[in-house]
Amino acid sequence: MAGAALRDQLSALLSSMFSQGLVDEQFEQLQMLQDEGGTPGFVAEVVTLFCDDAERIIAEIATLLEQPIVSFDKVDAFVHQLKGSSASVGAQKVKFTCMQFRQFCQEKSRDGCLMALAVVRNEFYDLRNKFQTMLQLEQQIQAYDHKQQ
Amino acid sequence: MRPDERKGVVAARRDQFPVGMRVLAVDDDPVCLKVLETLLLRCQYHVSTTNQAAIALKMLRENRDMFDLVISDVHMPDMDGFKLLELVGLEMDLPVIMLSVNGETKTVMKGITHGACDYLLKPVRIEELRNIWQHVVRRKFSTRDRANLDIYEECNKPSNADSDHAHGHVTCGSPDQSGRPSKKRKEYYSEEEDEGEEDNTQETDDPSAPKKPRVVWSVELHRKFVAAVNQLGIDKAVPKRILELMNVEKLTRENVASHLQKYRLYLKRLSAVASQQVSIVAALGGRDPFLHMGAFEGLQGYQAFTSSTSLSSFTPHGLINSPRNNPAAFGTQRVSASKSIQTVTGGHALNHSICDANKYHLSSPGNQQGNLGQGMATSLGQTQMQPKWIQEETDDLSTIFSGNGLANSGMSATLQGVTSSPLLPQELVECTQVKVGSQPSVLTPSVSSGHLEGTVGVSSSLLDPRVSQQTTIPLSEFSASGLPIHGLFNNSCATKLGATSSASTPVHPSDDLLVARDTKAGASSFGSTMLLPPDTEQKYLNFGGGNSFKHKFDERTADSLFDLKFVWSSGLSSQSASNIGAHHSISQRWNNSSSNNSNIGARMIGQPSSSASTVAPHAKSDFLISGDMLVPKNASDLSVPKLQSELSSSSCSFDGLLNSIIKVEKDDVSFSDDLGCSDFYSLGACI
Repeated sequence: MAGAALRDQLSALLSSMFSQGLVDEQFEQLQMLQDEGGTPGFVAEVVTLFCDDAERIIAEIATLLEQPIVSFDKVDAFVHQLKGSSASVGAQKVKFTCMQFRQFCQEKSRDGCLMALAVVRNEFYDLRNKFQTMLQLEQQIQAYDHKQQ
Repeated sequence: MRPDERKGVVAARRDQFPVGMRVLAVDDDPVCLKVLETLLLRCQYHVSTTNQAAIALKMLRENRDMFDLVISDVHMPDMDGFKLLELVGLEMDLPVIMLSVNGETKTVMKGITHGACDYLLKPVRIEELRNIWQHVVRRKFSTRDRANLDIYEECNKPSNADSDHAHGHVTCGSPDQSGRPSKKRKEYYSEEEDEGEEDNTQETDDPSAPKKPRVVWSVELHRKFVAAVNQLGIDKAVPKRILELMNVEKLTRENVASHLQKYRLYLKRLSAVASQQVSIVAALGGRDPFLHMGAFEGLQGYQAFTSSTSLSSFTPHGLINSPRNNPAAFGTQRVSASKSIQTVTGGHALNHSICDANKYHLSSPGNQQGNLGQGMATSLGQTQMQPKWIQEETDDLSTIFSGNGLANSGMSATLQGVTSSPLLPQELVECTQVKVGSQPSVLTPSVSSGHLEGTVGVSSSLLDPRVSQQTTIPLSEFSASGLPIHGLFNNSCATKLGATSSASTPVHPSDDLLVARDTKAGASSFGSTMLLPPDTEQKYLNFGGGNSFKHKFDERTADSLFDLKFVWSSGLSSQSASNIGAHHSISQRWNNSSSNNSNIGARMIGQPSSSASTVAPHAKSDFLISGDMLVPKNASDLSVPKLQSELSSSSCSFDGLLNSIIKVEKDDVSFSDDLGCSDFYSLGACI
């Protein structure tokens, strides 16, 4: 019973993530890849990679934007990378905010970039929380299944 | 393996082929790489991954036969994906797919011009990846270097029918495609014969056997190489001289020769890709004002041909190469000695142009069919006819020409006399600009050291409003060119369109018929430039490199109706959009095109050349007409400055063209296949 409840919770979480536009069909594809391809833990691996990488990139961007002379090209390169990895994981909202971010980079507007960074960061943290919850639920489900056996 | 068994294997391979295809995925982004890897594995490919381009390159260099395909991200910190792409394209003949989250046209175009066989956007979908094996197959049939495809070798070898089949997919179904693959192979072999032993070593190399210590062509080394090639001009770039210029220790002539070959293949590949693209563009752009014109009505039909052409050997390069194809394949020309094999180009091109003409004919019913028919007839009889031609025309070229001049008295013409002598190309092309009121005078090229060389070019441009009519007439002693010029003259004047045409008549007593081909190639590229919508050109120019220029040109060429082959086929006839006709119908044709208000790029190049090696004096003359006619309504699309730049660039390439003609003539070397490039380079330089 507890297992079923956990599963319900997980699927509710996932559908809310989809409905809020946090993740898109790419994420769905990753899940399908995991389920059909018999590669358990694949989504968890990618999500973890993404969270670590995105956090690193956001930190890099923040550092760059603190410089007296901002190298917008470098910032742009990082944002581009973040956009790439968020697209790959299906982190739709982060991807969209990255696209806006890149416009500020092109305009070479530090204020715009700082603002965009804040937005990206918020979106990312929001998503990361959800991802973490998701991963925890999955772990619990796994542990429960394990116990059952 | 028994034959039937082999057939079975082919079929079986086709069924399961993509399974186990060896893919190298390169992406600095761990997330993307992980996802990509999983997707590729899901497609049942054999996947290797790396997050650094440098490592990827190392892997590829060390195990060049271990991969079938490379998928690379565009943005990577250690090495730009484009650089990796370029190096891979140069060093090993692997298809490379670029991958980026950035789908801007400019970036995608850059990928394609650098030789990417595909450009995927992140996030990649598995559906796309399931299809990427096609690039491996495609490459297999469009490359000679099958070293990297050894596991599919049997797939490749078995039957011509097989390869034809695969080829058909690639070539959009030109009517002549059957048998082309084999021609192509022949081309390669004959190319080797021309270029000497270094190629043979290449070809005979067993892919799996370890080779002599390999020189790693670093970016630096390659740059030197390219610089040397450019300095020499791709046409004159022979391994020995490149080696001298590069002045790098431990580099052997063989290394350079091999690299040169790859470089040429690389350029060729780029052009193939480019023209493929263009054909797509052309197909999609049916509503484009340009395409509306009568001239372009045939384009669609033609396009198929062009693209297929470029895939095999018909890019300007290819065209030039093709001459060396098996003469027998065309049967148009009976050439006995090896030297005269070059003559065959005519034949080769001829064949295709005939097919084309057919297509063309069908697709543009309203246009002067009579002319077309004529043109076809001419083309069919090209070889036989030309000799006569030249004789006739030669006799009273001057007369004809002066007649033209009179007829055209209304226009102010600038006569450009190009005097050529077998000296330095630059010196050879001495342009004197003479303003002639109403009677153009003809400057007769000087004849020196037994070579008769005359180059006549006519160019008129109305693109620039201020210049009412600028007509440059390079006149040769051969009336063959004279006639077409006449037509051009009249019509460009009347239509108020800018047209540039050049007719050159290199006459060479020697066996070297290459001249003709070279001229043609140059011409085509020239013409193509003019055809370009300026903005497009601009884009291309941004890419900067000589390669991209070349690419551009090829594309243009593919784009233009006045494809070399066409022109060739008609022999004397020039080709404006809708008509292919005999020489005397040229003026008609021009009229026609003008009345169509079409945007026409046409160019004329006439090149009779006689070959001593054939039993009877073999003379050949070909005309390409290319010019840009800008119709007022289109004019709005094109900004004047750009047009001007276009013009200047074309004139540059014109010079380059002349240079190359003369160059080639001078030393009878057959490297025609890259002449186009030299033109491009020169164009690049002047832009």
